[in-house]
Amino acid sequence: MAFSLASLSKSLSFLLPPQPITPKPSNFAPPVPQWDPKSTSTSTSTSLSVSLTAADEIKGVTCPSLAYSNTLFFKSACYNVQVVVGENEPEEKLLGRFRRAVFRAGVIQECKRRRFFETTQEKKKRKAREASRRNRKRRPYTKVSAQAKEEGPKKKNDDEDDNWGLPEGDLPY
Amino acid sequence: MAKPIPKVGSRRSGRSSARKSARRIPKGVIHVQASFNNTIVTVTDVRGRVISWSSTGTCGFKGTRRGTPFAAQTAAGNAIRAVVDQGMQRAEVMIKGPGLGRDATLRAIRRSGILLSFVRDVTPMPHNGCRPPKKRRV
Repeated sequence: MAFSLASLSKSLSFLLPPQPITPKPSNFAPPVPQWDPKSTSTSTSTSLSVSLTAADEIKGVTCPSLAYSNTLFFKSACYNVQVVVGENEPEEKLLGRFRRAVFRAGVIQECKRRRFFETTQEKKKRKAREASRRNRKRRPYTKVSAQAKEEGPKKKNDDEDDNWGLPEGDLPY
Repeated sequence: MAKPIPKVGSRRSGRSSARKSARRIPKGVIHVQASFNNTIVTVTDVRGRVISWSSTGTCGFKGTRRGTPFAAQTAAGNAIRAVVDQGMQRAEVMIKGPGLGRDATLRAIRRSGILLSFVRDVTPMPHNGCRPPKKRRV
């Protein structure tokens, strides 16, 4: 048992950059942000699944109570966005990071949407608008080329069908 | 009809409520509730027990001016000034709600000299729960 623990701890130390094993401060700089040291955004339902990495799984085997210590700390598990503040970080940089993380999580948009009730019609309209915005951003070229292709053959057909010549036969008078 | 025996504990509890708790808290949590019309800043300890609070209303703003970022800044400054005297060095920030006070309070907290460990957004999101009020026809 001791041997396996030692080997596990060795593999742990190989995976993680040097970290003090004191309980309180290190768990506030948990293993998860090492993979993404600047910011993590999670939702309540997926916080547990997202945050478990290989190191956490090993921890879960050796000391199960500490497995989720980085996500569950009293009530702080229910956050949408978290930004870890570095030392001596300039104010504007921190604000910019926070704003960008919040925008990516869509918190303020969601809040505004849920302020008042929206009917099914409004919901449909909103979804259509969002979808068109998404498609427009992702495929600006294919749509235009498709339109050009359609217009080409149509014109040719029209030209052939048009009757440009004079009607046959003599004039009635 | 027996006389109630005076408990030792009651004497102790009476004394503690009279004494002002001047505990030193090196680490705390700053909760910021930023709604569209107001901003409330509450400073608690790590467990959540409130140490001091301040809002734009208590800072003297009234009406529409409470929702402005400048008012949020003053509210945050007030709340932190009361706590820095108690010796708080590190803090986490939990921001709740949409509103203009979000960034302004963060700026004020940063400028006050308290070390920040995390900045979190804890806006409550229903998983399609209660029906919100009807649309305003203004």
